[in-house]
Amino acid sequence: MFLLHEYDIFWAFLIISSIIPILAFLISGVLTPIREGSEKLSSYESGIEPMGNAWLQFRIRYYMFALVFVVFDVETVFLYPWAMSFDVLGISVFIEAFIFVLIPIVGLVYAWRKGALEWS
Amino acid sequence: MDLLGPIHDILVIFLGSVLILGGLGVVLLTNLIYSAFSLGWVLFCISLFYISSNSYFVAAAQLLIYVGAINVLIIFAVMFISGSEYSNDSHLWTIGDGVTSVVCTSIFFSLITTIPDTSWYGIIWTTRSNQIIEQDLISNVQQIGIHLSTNFYLPFELISIILLISLIGAITMARQ
Repeated sequence: MFLLHEYDIFWAFLIISSIIPILAFLISGVLTPIREGSEKLSSYESGIEPMGNAWLQFRIRYYMFALVFVVFDVETVFLYPWAMSFDVLGISVFIEAFIFVLIPIVGLVYAWRKGALEWS
Repeated sequence: MDLLGPIHDILVIFLGSVLILGGLGVVLLTNLIYSAFSLGWVLFCISLFYISSNSYFVAAAQLLIYVGAINVLIIFAVMFISGSEYSNDSHLWTIGDGVTSVVCTSIFFSLITTIPDTSWYGIIWTTRSNQIIEQDLISNVQQIGIHLSTNFYLPFELISIILLISLIGAITMARQ
């Protein structure tokens, strides 16, 4: 029922990749000299005097990037089983998936023309 | 296969305890952004649960949709809250908190009573997927892909049209 041996490499990779950042933070936490001061605890803004609080309200237009990302993220879920069975299926299914990708790209072009992808 | 049972138990207990800690973090942390990241951690642990119960596609879908999409939306929504609303008035017990706790505890106890009564192996899809796993280890996701692109071709294309509609609708709503 439970097939752990198939994922031995995955669990080993997961453990190693989670140990490395923990070790990095631990070593730097042990080695650094700690001398706190009001100047040192202030946030670093490329040498310019920091203005205001770090917890500030973001502008609502950045939400559109998240929305565009979510749409293509949901699309990936449906492309994943198609990609897994690509060698079994033929060229006609490739055209199906091409149409499947092409329809949201129309939406991406719409978002681009409407200026939703402008960062500033 | 004798050794795999205890390893599975240890893994499930470890994941479950991490999951409960993450869930407590979601509820108890006062800073909203920390509880949003804690929610992402809980959803990631649930996807590991799916991997340990042989449903890899559900695990991938869980990672992509819940951790990738929904949690990103929640974190973005938290980022739009202005900083002054991080006030420490979380100790007040309002009516909404009472209603939410009653609903959550009732759902919890109803799930506890219904899960042991349900015969999970009587469901056709479960036994059939077990047969597929015994036949060929890789073909579980492949079967979904084959069915999706041959039998369910029209819904597959309808999904992309729905995604297009939601993208255009979201952009027009966010521009206002």
